Amino acid sequence: MAQPTKQEKERRNLVSKLYHWFVDGLERTVFMGVQYTFPKRFVSPLGYLGVLTGITFLVLGITGGLLMIYYQPTLSGCGSITCAFASIQRINDQVPYGWLLRNIHYTASNAMVLLAVLHMYYQYFSGRFKIKNEVLWVTGIILGIITGVEAYSGYDLIFNQRAGLAIEIGSSLANASPLIGNTLRLATFGAGFTDFILRLYSAHVFILPMIMLILVFIHFPRYLVFDLPIVSTVVGGIFIVASIFPVQLSIPYSPSNPTLTIPEWYLTGIYALLRTEYDKFVMGGLMPALLFLMALVVPFIDTSKKLSWKERPFFTALGITSIAQILVTTAWGFYINPDTSLPTLARLLVPPELYFGSMILITVLSFALTYAFMRYLKSRERVRKAAAPLGPILTRRWVLVIFVLLIAAQVALNGLAFMAVQQGLRNMSLFDVGAILISFGVLVHLYRYSQSLPF
Amino acid sequence: MKALVTIGAFLSIIPFVPWGEFLSSSVTTAGKYTRQKVVLDANPKANGNAAGRTVNVNDLVNFPPNSHWLITYPSSGDLTVDAQNPDTFVKFDLIRLPVELGGGNKDATAFVAFSKVCVHLWCSPSYNPEQCSNPNENGYQSGPGCTKHEQYECPCHGSIYRIPDGLSIAGPASLQPPPTNAIPMLTLSSDKDGTLYIEPPIWDVDHNGVIGYGRNYLSYKDYIVPAATGGVT
Repeated sequence: MAQPTKQEKERRNLVSKLYHWFVDGLERTVFMGVQYTFPKRFVSPLGYLGVLTGITFLVLGITGGLLMIYYQPTLSGCGSITCAFASIQRINDQVPYGWLLRNIHYTASNAMVLLAVLHMYYQYFSGRFKIKNEVLWVTGIILGIITGVEAYSGYDLIFNQRAGLAIEIGSSLANASPLIGNTLRLATFGAGFTDFILRLYSAHVFILPMIMLILVFIHFPRYLVFDLPIVSTVVGGIFIVASIFPVQLSIPYSPSNPTLTIPEWYLTGIYALLRTEYDKFVMGGLMPALLFLMALVVPFIDTSKKLSWKERPFFTALGITSIAQILVTTAWGFYINPDTSLPTLARLLVPPELYFGSMILITVLSFALTYAFMRYLKSRERVRKAAAPLGPILTRRWVLVIFVLLIAAQVALNGLAFMAVQQGLRNMSLFDVGAILISFGVLVHLYRYSQSLPF
Repeated sequence: MKALVTIGAFLSIIPFVPWGEFLSSSVTTAGKYTRQKVVLDANPKANGNAAGRTVNVNDLVNFPPNSHWLITYPSSGDLTVDAQNPDTFVKFDLIRLPVELGGGNKDATAFVAFSKVCVHLWCSPSYNPEQCSNPNENGYQSGPGCTKHEQYECPCHGSIYRIPDGLSIAGPASLQPPPTNAIPMLTLSSDKDGTLYIEPPIWDVDHNGVIGYGRNYLSYKDYIVPAATGGVT
């Protein structure tokens, strides 16, 4: 940062003085060690999916902190249903805007898992992880795993049927680990549901986020891209998805009235593996661990100087294969035998020969096809046309027109959102707020664009 | 010197005490494990007319053989709170055995108390007093209600535990390796008036078992004999 001249200092008004007093005071803190980039023109968000994940984490922190005010991590004392479930019911149905926070929190948690996975795969295929060192990659994988655990512990807190399923499977997996099974289960799940919910609560709201924050300090690069239009669009997108697919309350978990449920989409893969009904520990513990192990060792094996996915056919094929495997196993996770005359256990069985057959088939196919495709690409060495630089698409006048239209749209959306709130159209109002955020993103982008136009 | 400082640092942060037990304690926050009278849950849905009564081994009218009731242990001391407690880890199924297994005895041997948490996936099993007309060659069958003997069965995935020793003999729980294939149970005793008591349990796999995990079946010759009058384990 260039030192301000004496003249500049004299010209400062009171507000600006206060601002500079504060910023100068931050000079030796961690925050000033990071360079923040507010890009002047559109840059592809793929490169900073990580920052977007971080911003989703921020959204989760804010909504989660507010939800803590009404959530009760206890079981007994609320009549025949658990206090945990009853308090969420209250948040959903009675607390003003409780439903809004809960919907945003839920959708943002899904978005964070998705963004983290996309971030990892983009870094993997683009080879960008090679520019940094292995420590960043490894902390990234650990952060990804903790994100998953955080999401898991979050939806267990609801104590509905789906949470019950997750609790049952998680605890039985812990129980099934050799030698330390009982100790591990007691340490993580406690000696009963009463203990369990408190443990998961402390893990979900404090312990895991703290670990994540510490890891984030290691994982963050020296500069952060904060592209306001994209950030605004992603947050708006989360709101819109939350309004279209509002999170269901489901029915309270009751161990004596079993129902068939399916876990969240990021856990159905493990669910499918477990339902082949081979050894629990091998299926639910070692098999997923293989995937993470593969991800962990990648930067130590793929040490070539080549970055592009086109020049690393083996690792590209490996990455595509892992995606294909995740997709197939996730799809199997949703499978329940439709024949209702069968007993529950038989309906839940994922036929192992079909499951492992399809897994092996998809592995061989995706690896071979990708590899063949890469060879084909290499042999064709296409001459690419140099893309002609685009002239300005919009003139300044049109930018102004769109500006006015967008602001008018925002006013209209604000009115609609207000009316929707008045009429109790919850999801409609959330949708409108999401649309407002996205239109704000477009507005900022247009402003940025207009700065590059000639007068 | 550096090595010594390192040793000192290790010694100062890791004394040789099993601190890990803080996390892996099997003590639940639900109540105290003292010797308690067996009082049925004040829950007419589960316990019918006997709801809220203190169990007496001599009372064959209210507590007939081949029946079962829901109890809470450890009790919070308040019957209403206990009855509404949704934590199945403090719930047990008190079973008066069928007559051929000694249910007619007027002492604690007529009763067993099984944990309500299945060792397979933590669902809540219940005692099924019905018998099957066509059992398989072992006398047991995994279909609900189909057995030569009365059995303790789980509604979720059909795990079946043998009466009176609580070893799983069918369903997914029976496929798990020991000690995760037997249901934890309480030790019972009765005094000279016939009042039934729960003895303070030892929550490890070699004694009453670990709820939600299992019990070392092999460490018992046949099954836990509910302690006789005023008895201990």
